[in-house]
Amino acid sequence: MKTRGLGDPLERFLGGPVLWGGLVLGTLFAMGPFLWVFLASVKTRVELYATPITYIPVQPTFQNYVDAWTSRLTPFSRFFANSLWVSSVTMVATIVISTLAGYALARFRFVGKNTLMLVFLATQMFPAVLLIAPLLSQWHALGLIDTYQALIYSNFSFTVPFTVWMLVGYFESIPRELEESAMIGRFGALLRIIVPLAAPGIAATAIFAFVSSWSELLFATTFTTRTDMRTLSAGLLYMVGQYEIQWGQLGAGVMISTIPVAILFIFLQKHLIRGLTAGALKG
Amino acid sequence: MSNQNATIAVPAPRALLSHATRETLSNYAYLLPAAICLGGTVLFPILKAIHMSLYYNVLIKPQEYRFIGLGNYVRMVQDPTFWLTLRNSFTWVFWSVSLQFFFGFLVALILNGQFKGRAIYRTINLLPWIIPGVVVALIWEYIYQPNYGPLNDLLRRAGLMREPVAWLSNLNLVMPAVVFTNIWRGIPFFTIMILAGLQAIPDEIYEAATVDGAGVIQRFWSVTLPMLRPIIVVATATRIIWTFNYADLIFVMTSGGPANATQITSTYTLMQAYSDLDWGYAATLSVILLVIMLVFTALYLKLTKGVESVAG
Repeated sequence: MKTRGLGDPLERFLGGPVLWGGLVLGTLFAMGPFLWVFLASVKTRVELYATPITYIPVQPTFQNYVDAWTSRLTPFSRFFANSLWVSSVTMVATIVISTLAGYALARFRFVGKNTLMLVFLATQMFPAVLLIAPLLSQWHALGLIDTYQALIYSNFSFTVPFTVWMLVGYFESIPRELEESAMIGRFGALLRIIVPLAAPGIAATAIFAFVSSWSELLFATTFTTRTDMRTLSAGLLYMVGQYEIQWGQLGAGVMISTIPVAILFIFLQKHLIRGLTAGALKG
Repeated sequence: MSNQNATIAVPAPRALLSHATRETLSNYAYLLPAAICLGGTVLFPILKAIHMSLYYNVLIKPQEYRFIGLGNYVRMVQDPTFWLTLRNSFTWVFWSVSLQFFFGFLVALILNGQFKGRAIYRTINLLPWIIPGVVVALIWEYIYQPNYGPLNDLLRRAGLMREPVAWLSNLNLVMPAVVFTNIWRGIPFFTIMILAGLQAIPDEIYEAATVDGAGVIQRFWSVTLPMLRPIIVVATATRIIWTFNYADLIFVMTSGGPANATQITSTYTLMQAYSDLDWGYAATLSVILLVIMLVFTALYLKLTKGVESVAG
């Protein structure tokens, strides 16, 4: 009971009607747009373009989902598989790379450690726009255009700095004595002590890497040219650019892109939020 | 092996490298994968971008590709659109971040209350932040759509509007429209940060303030705000830099149009690369983005150092 129930009438007003009013408004505001697109995605084509517009579909249908999923021009099944693959591989590789680096930065003494931490902090804030032109010419020279590798490597540019930074914080919060008393080598200590103890933090960074790769747009549109190599984000953009906007199919595509990350978020938000705010709380 | 002293500590045979050297090498070995990743995807590309910015490099005119020194930078300083995009970036960042902060703070205060179903409300209120940027852009493009979009319809039903408004093609409304979308998207970020800060404030401080006769408003100003200062500074600074660089929303919704009304510097850079195919000039603009970002980050680090000493 932090701020309520202490007798002050203003306080009771704030804790009662204002709290509930704000809650309802906030929730409506956050959910309304999703709800609208979901409702649109189950409308028939006729209903989508009817005036006056309807909110509750008269004849709800999942035809738009079937069309989007199986379409030959914008195959969302393929986009989905591409996104899943690129995000999963990015996530796993990022975690391995960042765990090693985070452990070294949290535990070892060596020259240039503070500079390295600064580099990791600064690179988190680099604009993706900056990397597009040079990376395109780089992937072109290496023959990696239209490959998963180009997308996965490019994603490292934003996943690795952030996860290293987060993991250093987690690892530092684990008491050193545990490793010192265990009498195993450093790598053994990392695998058998640090990783199990920091599992929630590692999970949080993993979700972060997955979700941010899943959302990534600019690299995915620039480094792929073939339809069958596009991710969901790039596929949605391609769909808008190519034809007159089919809001029904597009709505279905939007829901297909949203649901996996929303589910991940619902189940793992506790870890994710703790991970994201731990750094900021430390200052 | 020298076994004459029967202790556990057996002197190891001298290795080729001293222990300290080997340890240093193995220290760096842990960092090697991360170093390769960032070298290949960040540091080398940045050098490459600087290099590209010194060339006339328009993809449709390969025969004119040549070294022009600072030519692109001179062009940038003389380019009125560039200055316009800086002003637009300022508007975009200022309104996005300040209103995200204000509403994010409000939502955090609400969600910090004790009530049933708090976890569900929290999840719902945080959802806009987790979904892909292109999805946010498309959802709102649909909402703003003049004929089939719900915004005009709702305003008309509420009697607030007679003629349908084309939100994304009206010069005066387009910036507020994209900023509003960005606010919707960014509120949860501040909510998460400030909520974490609120929950870290010990109850005893509030109790002590209440005993001292402080009302709810007074407690907010004298306890909550000062205690949240560090997290507010960190969250706001990160958000400013991030919003300045963020191109996805505007790129998808308006491509910076109409007539550059929503062209911020980062989308201008993209448009130079994608539409004008002028990769030399795009690289120049991106180098400038980097410089601005570095100045911000330096300021931010200075600020947070100050905050750290306050936070203890």
